[in-house]
Amino acid sequence: MDLIGLYPTWYEPGIGSGYVIAIIATIHVLFSHTAVGAALLFTYLAYLGYRDDRPELIDFIKKYGMFLLVFSYILGSITGPGIWYSTTVGSPRGISALIHNFVWKWATEWVFFVIEVVGVYMMVYLVGKVDKATYLRIAITFGLASFATMLAIVGILSFMMEPGMPEWTEKGGYLLGFYGDNTFAQLAIRSMFMLTITAVVGGIVVAGLKDQVFKTWLARRLAVLGIVTATIGMLLYPWYLSTLPAQAQIVMENRIPAYYSTAILSVLLATIAYFVFTLIKPRMLTASIAGFATLAILILGLFPGETIRESARKPYVAGEYLYSNQVIGKDVPGMTIKSEIPTLEKVGFTHASVFWPETQREITPQNAAEVGRSLAIAACSNCHSLSPTGIRPIASYFGGMTDIPRIQNYLIGALSTGNTMYMPKIPLKEKEAEALALYLASLADPTVVAKFVDEKTRAAEADAVKAAPSKPVAVSMANPLHTGSKE
Amino acid sequence: MDASALYALRDPLGVPAAPIIFLILGVLTWALHIAAVHILLGASGLTLTGALSKNPHWRRLADAMIGTAKVALSVAIVLGVAPLLFVQVVYDPFWYTSNVLSAWWVIGFIVFLIIGSLALFIFYGLNQSMKSGAKTRCPGSLIAAIAFFLVVGFIMHALSVQMLHPEKWMAWYAPGGIIDASGRSLHEYNFWRFGFFISLSVPVIGLWMIAYRRYIMGRTQEDSGYLDFLRSLSMKLIPIGGVISLVLLAGWMMTLPANVAGFATGIWPASTAAILLLAVALPFVLAKKLDQGYWGFAPFAFGAVALIVVAVMREMLRWVTLFGVHGYNALDYKLHMDWYSTLMFFLTFGVIGGGVLAYLLTVAWKAGQTKGVYTASPMVNRMGTLGISLLGIWIIQYFVIGLWVAYAG
Repeated sequence: MDLIGLYPTWYEPGIGSGYVIAIIATIHVLFSHTAVGAALLFTYLAYLGYRDDRPELIDFIKKYGMFLLVFSYILGSITGPGIWYSTTVGSPRGISALIHNFVWKWATEWVFFVIEVVGVYMMVYLVGKVDKATYLRIAITFGLASFATMLAIVGILSFMMEPGMPEWTEKGGYLLGFYGDNTFAQLAIRSMFMLTITAVVGGIVVAGLKDQVFKTWLARRLAVLGIVTATIGMLLYPWYLSTLPAQAQIVMENRIPAYYSTAILSVLLATIAYFVFTLIKPRMLTASIAGFATLAILILGLFPGETIRESARKPYVAGEYLYSNQVIGKDVPGMTIKSEIPTLEKVGFTHASVFWPETQREITPQNAAEVGRSLAIAACSNCHSLSPTGIRPIASYFGGMTDIPRIQNYLIGALSTGNTMYMPKIPLKEKEAEALALYLASLADPTVVAKFVDEKTRAAEADAVKAAPSKPVAVSMANPLHTGSKE
Repeated sequence: MDASALYALRDPLGVPAAPIIFLILGVLTWALHIAAVHILLGASGLTLTGALSKNPHWRRLADAMIGTAKVALSVAIVLGVAPLLFVQVVYDPFWYTSNVLSAWWVIGFIVFLIIGSLALFIFYGLNQSMKSGAKTRCPGSLIAAIAFFLVVGFIMHALSVQMLHPEKWMAWYAPGGIIDASGRSLHEYNFWRFGFFISLSVPVIGLWMIAYRRYIMGRTQEDSGYLDFLRSLSMKLIPIGGVISLVLLAGWMMTLPANVAGFATGIWPASTAAILLLAVALPFVLAKKLDQGYWGFAPFAFGAVALIVVAVMREMLRWVTLFGVHGYNALDYKLHMDWYSTLMFFLTFGVIGGGVLAYLLTVAWKAGQTKGVYTASPMVNRMGTLGISLLGIWIIQYFVIGLWVAYAG
């Protein structure tokens, strides 16, 4: 049987499943980056606190740690698997590709994560209850385990853009999939920005300190940390860009809204300005100012950043072989994976898909619009909303066109051949293209469905008359929308 | 849906080690996760009861249990990641389909869990001194937390049940032949099954309280009235909760679908019932021994073993359903053996995870039993230094191997 493993599709007409994933992912990035950055900061502060005998630093670790327990280790811990959940429902084969390639890496990260969570509780609740050397050992353990979680995950994030090494396609294997230029560039830039974010979020806790001298000292240290890491992060950005595949660079130049880059650059400069302000006037730092800065980074920095990363890898979602519409678009000999395009070319979506209504396997004039809708859900809706709202509404690309043959020609000429930049190759059988065209036309004018059915029915009747001119004609196709009186 | 369709849904990447390994890890980590969930729910329930009581012992218990619930929440979330990972490896066709068909509930799971967690922390933040007799503030937040935890538990339950019904998937996805891609419905559930897993919170928290009692007995000048209260309460909760759980287990087995009804009279439900009975009986058998040596911790340890048996039974039912009825063999997944990542995981898990956690938990245990500042012994210090060294070595190998692959390989 020519089946390909396409799952059911979740189509969210309001904002689109893509944005649901992006929102959860962005929030998680804020929490998780703060957690890793703060763990390293805690280690440093614990070292200073005990070396210089400064108990106020240890008290600060307790306060910031208590805040992090909820901020990063509860909300962050939930939104982490939350990304799995959201991608499971939005892109099941995408997350499956990452899981099956890197299950052991994810399991390894889990080991470090368990250590990290135990560590943060001990950092908070054992202040003053264990000797200094033991507390410092716990702090170092916590910091290293936390950093290791990032090391374990960053290669998986890179694989979403491209395999670590190009040889992975031919040879397969975990190492070639995980490690590459992009892995290290991404690690460097994320490490810097996580410390920047930590300095911003830490301001919320610092603002509440009552000892003004200590507040000044700490706010200035965080400001320096923020300025240095944000600046290095910006300087690393060209390196990161240079490690992206050529396709991603073209997409970024042509498809990303211009204001995204402006927003990210602006928020980076504003962040540096914020740190300069807290460096000069540390006592002016308030929780609301720091909270506002955190929100600005979340909305104007991380969200566009994550969205760009998501968009730049199109038409693929993993390893440069799995299309965004869940179809395997290329052979990967190293993992004995075969492209599913030939199967689709041979039998079409209607016969190759596991989750396809039996009544829609054969296309008739009567079910064509519904088949078209099913095709749009399966092949398009991951990236294009079928409603007027949401991500890249599909109707807007056809400008109200209702000319079914013209749309059909476009679908066959541009999509089935894979000749559209940024789009997967979507091979459609002729009848499938016609059904999808009918559905797309109906988005602009729902009456085209009845006209289409009417025309097709009349044509069928005419054909029947031609085929048997000497006998009375019985209408062979039921047509609920046809109101003619021939019967 | 026939077996060929189920096999078509499998990820063509295959798995990097023998599938049985993922199956076993899934069972073990699920047992750990559900133990933490039981402690969370049980401790939350006891906290609520104590918070609404004027009895000083109940107030003190509430004070201790809210701390337990808070940590159990973190542990439950962290431990829950592992079985969630492993189920995707060998049962991907079933897990992903079930999730997509109820997508909004899957997203709701995240939102409800966040709300429940925040509600728990709000209650914790507002009630720092329940044992001193201060009036309980905002008990509604704790009630809300428990309610949301039950809701997320129910969502997980439904997703786990839906994956066992491939024969119904198309009817759920395309009722009447028209695709409904909204993901707004939970399609299948069994209140007996859900009730069984939730009800285990009662005996489990009873067993936990026996261990808690033994732990605080290690401190000097502990209030004997409070210790008696703990013993009395736990000895009531364990048998009552145990009986309720067994009744619900029986109900679940009697309501299994007809095509797996034979499972109910097989060895696994019987084994589960037997070990649960033993877990319930053990504290009564040990009686006065519970106050001696480490015996006070034995009932909870045995309870953990009982939960592993429960997890095995749950897995066997899945096996019987998916292999026996639908012809899907999770163990014949395509193998692309990857020795490096497999060995690296087990080394990290066994050596680093085991070593570092042994150090951290030793310190936490001893610090909790020490009045004043705990000073670690040279042996414990060596454990700590070794743990740090192992973490350092892991990070160094990451960069050495990675840079070699990326730039020199």
